Amino acid sequence: MDDLVSVEAVSRRFPLDHSEVRALDDASLSVERGEFLAIAGPSGSGKSTLLNLMGCIDKPTSGRIVLDGEDTSKLSPARLSAFRREKIGFVFQTFNLIPVFTARENVEFPLLVQGVSADERRHRAMDALESVGIAARAQHRPDLLSGGERQRVAVARAIVHRPALVLADEPTANLDTHNATQLIDLMRELNLTLGLTFIFSTHDQRLLEHTPRIIRLCDGQVVEDMQHAEVVHG
Amino acid sequence: MAKFLLLAFRNIFRNRRRTLMTLLMVGGGVTGLLLAGGYFAFMTHGLREDTIRNGLGHLQIFTAEHFRRDEIRVLDTGIENWRQVAATVRTAPHVHGVAPRIEFYGMVSNGQKSSIFMGSAVDPDAERSLGFSTFLTAGKDLDGDQGSDVEALIGAGLAKSMNVKVGDGLTLFAVTSDGALNGVDVQIAGIVESGVAELDARYLRITLPSAQRLLQSDRITNLVVGLDDTANTDAVYNELIPRLSGLPQRMTVKKWIDLATYYKQVHNLFNGIFLFMGVIVFFMVLMSSVNTLLMAMFERTREIGTMLAMGTPRAWIILLLMAEATLLGVLGAAGGLAAGNLLGVLLNASGLHLPPPPGYTVSVPFRVLHVPAMMVSSSILVIVSLALASILPAVRASRLQIVEALAHV
Ligand SMILES: Nc1ncnc2c1ncn2[C@@H]1O[C@H](COP(=O)(O)OP(=O)(O)OP(=O)(O)O)[C@@H](O)[C@H]1O
Ligand SMILES: [Mg+2]
Repeated sequence: MDDLVSVEAVSRRFPLDHSEVRALDDASLSVERGEFLAIAGPSGSGKSTLLNLMGCIDKPTSGRIVLDGEDTSKLSPARLSAFRREKIGFVFQTFNLIPVFTARENVEFPLLVQGVSADERRHRAMDALESVGIAARAQHRPDLLSGGERQRVAVARAIVHRPALVLADEPTANLDTHNATQLIDLMRELNLTLGLTFIFSTHDQRLLEHTPRIIRLCDGQVVEDMQHAEVVHG
Repeated sequence: MAKFLLLAFRNIFRNRRRTLMTLLMVGGGVTGLLLAGGYFAFMTHGLREDTIRNGLGHLQIFTAEHFRRDEIRVLDTGIENWRQVAATVRTAPHVHGVAPRIEFYGMVSNGQKSSIFMGSAVDPDAERSLGFSTFLTAGKDLDGDQGSDVEALIGAGLAKSMNVKVGDGLTLFAVTSDGALNGVDVQIAGIVESGVAELDARYLRITLPSAQRLLQSDRITNLVVGLDDTANTDAVYNELIPRLSGLPQRMTVKKWIDLATYYKQVHNLFNGIFLFMGVIVFFMVLMSSVNTLLMAMFERTREIGTMLAMGTPRAWIILLLMAEATLLGVLGAAGGLAAGNLLGVLLNASGLHLPPPPGYTVSVPFRVLHVPAMMVSSSILVIVSLALASILPAVRASRLQIVEALAHV
């Protein structure tokens, strides 16, 4: 009952021509508060589908997802929107920063939609940028930033409102190996220092070395749930 | 929220080329409306002042009886003590002058042939002091003080059918106020041409004393009041009503607009054309910007999906896109106003003339008036048009499926 995320027998099927695709097939798992979790698996295994469902931007065909004690299947679209606003931070594969906003304004965005005052927004956004080591670039627009820098800004945006859960679907897919490793290390550091829960997906094995828990998907099913004891305990 | 709407402002400058196209179209529409409307205003304003100056005056005073029944005898619904009425009128502010007139009918004869005429008796000095013009094609205007001689101006058509020229004599016959037939010999002082053939075939003008002698009456038909400025018409009208109510005879005051049928028709026509142009601009802006705005929204699908994923209320997305379009409308309207007014000033300074319209011999100057009401209405028109055009794209954006929108490339 102390789980932050509880995925209970969830399936997600998409109609395709006359049949259907089982993107996620009776998957169950639970995540505790403060975990750092990777979802691994080959292309088409259902990683994105699972993250979308946990991020409440998609609905399961069957089964249910309980998030922070709330049965998300029972929430109306407006409540779901508010729920995401408060509880979830997203990091996207393609960064998805708002191009006409500066780095700081982008990081402020989740606070903006929460109705936080301008002063506090600014303050907290700068703190977040600081924590991802990019405060010096606060006034730059995304097009002036490198890929690695953009994704750091995106991470700052995902954590600025201290969400219960940060979801990152292939956050390193558009980064080179060096930046990719750095990003995962950064997220891990934020996980340890701020106690934030991170779930990210990847199909790059090299990024999983420092990851304490890895869930492997194949054809929409959880095929492995592996805890590295030595990593967990540091 | 203010910060969120700052997005709208910045987004406008994202696709400069497309924004410029929209601004050009919106601004062009406003400029076009301003120039056309300004020209129409110039034309109607000119026609208005011409109409007033050609003898209509700003106000005309009749007895109330005049409009209630036809005359049984000549001038029996006329103004009795017109000098007293005129004096009362002159006490009102803005009154520039008062001119008495008699409208009457009769026969005109050259000894061999006779014809019906429509007579107008005036005080030439009063008419001149009000700036009322006669359109002489030959001879000279009536003299204010003619002694015992009786002069007349006659319409070109009537002169032709009577086969007379300036200096010739004619005899006028009319029924007096007692019902008797009376005649008077007149000498033709000048030939006038109004441009309306039907009128010129019947028109004849003599002085007030001559007409009163012919008709054996000291009454007049009406008083024509000229003001310092057409804009004061309503104010003076309201002043006159109580002042005239103290007189023994009940009076009716008519404003020039109620008597200027032709002006009203032209005015309505121009208003109609302007309205029609407005409708065209409205739909032009609407149609083309729906497309442009849909395109802009489509290009930003992933960004909108991102905002929605982060819990941005759908209403905010609608508001954002509508604010962007409205802002475009405001900028376009501002540009259009600036361009329209500047072009207007340049056009007016250039002294451009249009070729004479059919039926006219002189070319008309091309001028545009700067009419504030028109600037406001055409700006509102394009802004509303853009705001309406953005509803469909905005609602569509707000209904995007988040997962699909995020996968959009
Ligand atoms: N909207 C959709 N309509 C139809 N099929 C879909 C849809 N979304 C996903 N699928 C299918 O569901 C399966 C799982 O897709 P998903 O995107 O979750 O895989 P993934 O593990 O994220 O793959 P990748 O590593 O390529 O991102 C795939 O076979 C995919 O084709
Ligand atoms: Mg994926």
